[in-house]
Amino acid sequence: MRKIIKKYLVYVLLVITLIFCAIGITIAYAHNDHPEIPPPKENYNDETLCVEPVEVMRKEHFTFVLDHRDKTVIDGIRTKKHSLIECIECHITANAKGEYARYSEETHFCASCHQFAAVNIDCFQCHADRPEEAIRKAINPNQTVDQSSEQKIQHYLQFSNAEH
Amino acid sequence: MRYKLEIDTNIDHVLNDSSDDVVYEVDLERRNFLRNAALVGGLTIAPGVMLYQTAHAKPDDEPVTDKHRWGMLIDTNVCQEDCDACVTACNEEHGLWDLGRPKTDAQWIRKLNIKDKLTGHVTSLPMMCQHCEHPPCVDVCPTRASFKRADGIVLVNPHTCIGCRYCMMACPYKARSFIHEPLVDQLPHAPRGKGCVESCTLCVHKVDRGDNNTACAEACAKDGHQALLFGDLNDPNSEISKQLEKHGGVQIRADLNLNTGVRYSGL
Repeated sequence: MRKIIKKYLVYVLLVITLIFCAIGITIAYAHNDHPEIPPPKENYNDETLCVEPVEVMRKEHFTFVLDHRDKTVIDGIRTKKHSLIECIECHITANAKGEYARYSEETHFCASCHQFAAVNIDCFQCHADRPEEAIRKAINPNQTVDQSSEQKIQHYLQFSNAEH
Repeated sequence: MRYKLEIDTNIDHVLNDSSDDVVYEVDLERRNFLRNAALVGGLTIAPGVMLYQTAHAKPDDEPVTDKHRWGMLIDTNVCQEDCDACVTACNEEHGLWDLGRPKTDAQWIRKLNIKDKLTGHVTSLPMMCQHCEHPPCVDVCPTRASFKRADGIVLVNPHTCIGCRYCMMACPYKARSFIHEPLVDQLPHAPRGKGCVESCTLCVHKVDRGDNNTACAEACAKDGHQALLFGDLNDPNSEISKQLEKHGGVQIRADLNLNTGVRYSGL
């Protein structure tokens, strides 16, 4: 009898361990939900979806915008294909509530991946992280007293300190 | 059909007597075709609405060339002392939101009132980057971030600007601003940020779009003053060239021989 128990004890323990593992992984996933990112406005075409094939864009998007920025700034070439404005225009869309995510939020298309991959970029210190209509909506052009910009700057500083 | 044409491209012929004639090869056939196409386009789109500016827009994929030299003529006789429509329009266009610190807030265009002590006459004028042909800011820039585009627009490339502010010291017109604080809510066509110098871009995004006008000039015209006239100094048929030929225009600090793109009349 003891021999039989000894023989099967290993298997029983193994099964119990596996069950606990499965529960653990399930709980971990439930807690680590990926943020829900609003989909892009439209596909560039049916074949590649984005301006380049999606796998290429995931790995190389920064080389495209880097190349394009000098052409635009220095030579005034304003093609839309690799323009950062167009990336933002298409990828940053409003959520169900009609709100646009800032780069400091994890539901922002760029930030969702950059935060996961621990990538630090400077683009949005100067460039708009949302389409123009969203920014025009967010700002109050009549602001003269500095309360709101001060708060925004504090928010920005907090975010950039947390990032480093 | 290719002709060799002698064109006086230096607008200084209006103002100064010394100018070098440049020989340009011009494809007349193409130019005529384009002009006709523009005319047809302008007439057919909608009667009464002339979309001439679309005819001037360069194709998006072509770099700018020195065929154009963009400039501005400011009539100080028309400019009103108590009006700052141009400043407001510029701030609105480029998202230069007031941070409540007038000493350091960015300022691309500002109004100056100059009083003649002898007569008491007050002259009012907007002052901004003069888009020099020989810009001192470009001379002193250690990283070549300050540069002149082929079409004469002087810009800062913020990607290479290290914020040393030499250009601000070199500029005789005090046209440039340094951004001391982190900014938020910049507009897509006017990226700006902490640590960079910036100044009037002659509404380069509008020029490239083919608007053929700047925000300040549009605002001035809207207010009924018409003191600011934007145009192509290289095109002898443009309104600005005609006005310059007819009434003349002076450079501020002409003694520096910078050949500015922004000219003033009535000074």
